[in-house]
Amino acid sequence: MTRVKLLSLLLIIAGALAISACAVVSKQASLPSWHPEQLGEGRPDCTECHEEQIKAVGKPSQTFKHTTEFVRQHRLYASQDEKVCALCHKFSFCNACHANELEIKPSTFLGNRPDRELPHRGDYLTLHMIDGKADPTSCYRCHGRSNNERCVSCHK
Amino acid sequence: MKTLRLPSALALLLIPALVHAADFEGYGTSIFRLEQKAAPGFDKKTIIPFTQFAGADLDQIADGNLSLHLYGWERVDLGDRSTSEKNSDGDLSYGFLAYRFPKANAEVKGGRFFVNQGVASEQLDGVGARTDLAGGFGVSAFGGAPVKLDRGSNTKGDFIAGGRGSYRYGNLLEVGFSGLHETGGIFDPTTGVKRDRELIGGDLWCGPSRFVEVNGHTYYDMSREGVAEHSYQLLLRPFKTIGVSGLYNQADLVHFYAGSNLRSLFNPDQGGMVRSYGGTVTWYAAAPLELNADYRHIHRSDNFETELNGGSDRFGAEARITALDKKLRSGVSYHRVSGATGFNSYHEGRGYVMYDSGRYIGSLDAIGQIYQTRIYNSKNAFELIASTGMRIMPQLTLSGELSYGQNPRLADDLKGLVRLTFNYVAQGKGAKK
Repeated sequence: MTRVKLLSLLLIIAGALAISACAVVSKQASLPSWHPEQLGEGRPDCTECHEEQIKAVGKPSQTFKHTTEFVRQHRLYASQDEKVCALCHKFSFCNACHANELEIKPSTFLGNRPDRELPHRGDYLTLHMIDGKADPTSCYRCHGRSNNERCVSCHK
Repeated sequence: MKTLRLPSALALLLIPALVHAADFEGYGTSIFRLEQKAAPGFDKKTIIPFTQFAGADLDQIADGNLSLHLYGWERVDLGDRSTSEKNSDGDLSYGFLAYRFPKANAEVKGGRFFVNQGVASEQLDGVGARTDLAGGFGVSAFGGAPVKLDRGSNTKGDFIAGGRGSYRYGNLLEVGFSGLHETGGIFDPTTGVKRDRELIGGDLWCGPSRFVEVNGHTYYDMSREGVAEHSYQLLLRPFKTIGVSGLYNQADLVHFYAGSNLRSLFNPDQGGMVRSYGGTVTWYAAAPLELNADYRHIHRSDNFETELNGGSDRFGAEARITALDKKLRSGVSYHRVSGATGFNSYHEGRGYVMYDSGRYIGSLDAIGQIYQTRIYNSKNAFELIASTGMRIMPQLTLSGELSYGQNPRLADDLKGLVRLTFNYVAQGKGAKK
């Protein structure tokens, strides 16, 4: 078992080195590590400044406009273009909702931001009995493997 | 890395990095809560948890491409227990070193971090790397030990590895293929047997014109051999002020739940299927006003709990107003959930208004539900929240909330919260939220 773990570790390191080597010979410049201009409060509209494509991902800036529907379905974008998210969002921004162990529900942690699209507002403890029966897959995405220590106190 | 050892570990990691870092950003939130809960037939309960969240980003270390990122929290209960677990708790959410290459959007990182690539949505202690390749190709990979939950070693496997490869055809199409292997990632408490968790998936983005986009993914569960999930979205932008989206999801619960570590709730052996479809229409009626109407139909079929079978509908509308240079933000919404036979149904309404002058912040928020059938002899629930705050300095904001609610479980639910947020930036950098 130890040999398998060692081999796996070596493979991972070799993979990381190979990826690094690819980057060294590339001519394509990376995206900046953060958005060079200060962004105002509220939802950003990338199209206000960026009219055409975001070259590094080959998608129109309109794709990343933070409409209500974009915010609700952001998982589809984040799993493909995390590097675009990271231009403007610190890791802790994602961590307010997506964590292995979440201490406070997001709508309480950000209780001074009622404009944010956050899950479980109000008395969701009662409501989850209805929503969870209608569509249990929506619970599973966040609580199926992580952040479910408190679920266990009732769902033993 | 739990409880009181966390701050010391964070501080130790920071010291050598600080010496060479050109940019430093430290941030944190202290939250002091006071909650009184009165449930019919039980004594009043007062919980007073204090939680400290703290994080730091150190950029431009060494040759300017190395960075260090840390974030964690600690909680101490000063009154009755705030959870059913213990009086204090803590977690290192992430702590990793990252090296960003100036070319090819390449990055290598090591430590504790969160991976979100294709099929993988995992927290692990390990290494990860990604790069763009020539000809529109891209590749990313990760491996290490999954971060387990507090309640035991069987909640996750011993080793996890995976990655995603992608191909982009011009500005028209991106397809990705991803996979994940977790050794001993599935624990069956009834047999005590551990099996490997294996998932593969394909994802797609297609934008044939600026008016149309399609994106989504299909995941396949290798451990029990079956399609776990289809999830696809169609976006139409016929006019600059109107957006239309359609969404289709399908989950086969035998495979969708295959990796669950909470089988009392998500039991793959019980099978079943959930299909949902729906859409949203967004109209930017005028500069400050956004109107949304949404509809979703969910159909559930279950072999064991047949009373759960049937179709439910969720529909409603929302108006959002952003005015006075985004200082004033307000919204009002109504939604109706019409449950299948045997399910409860409810109406939900919400309204909020917030004002942020730069120095002072204030908001009012109200949400309520009316149930079609009584729950614990109660027909409705509501919560009212008033929030106020002041930026004492550019780096320091003090805010607080007072909320009152009634719901089927609690005759009175009175809560107070004081929040102190700091954000110190040592060098001018752009804008991370």
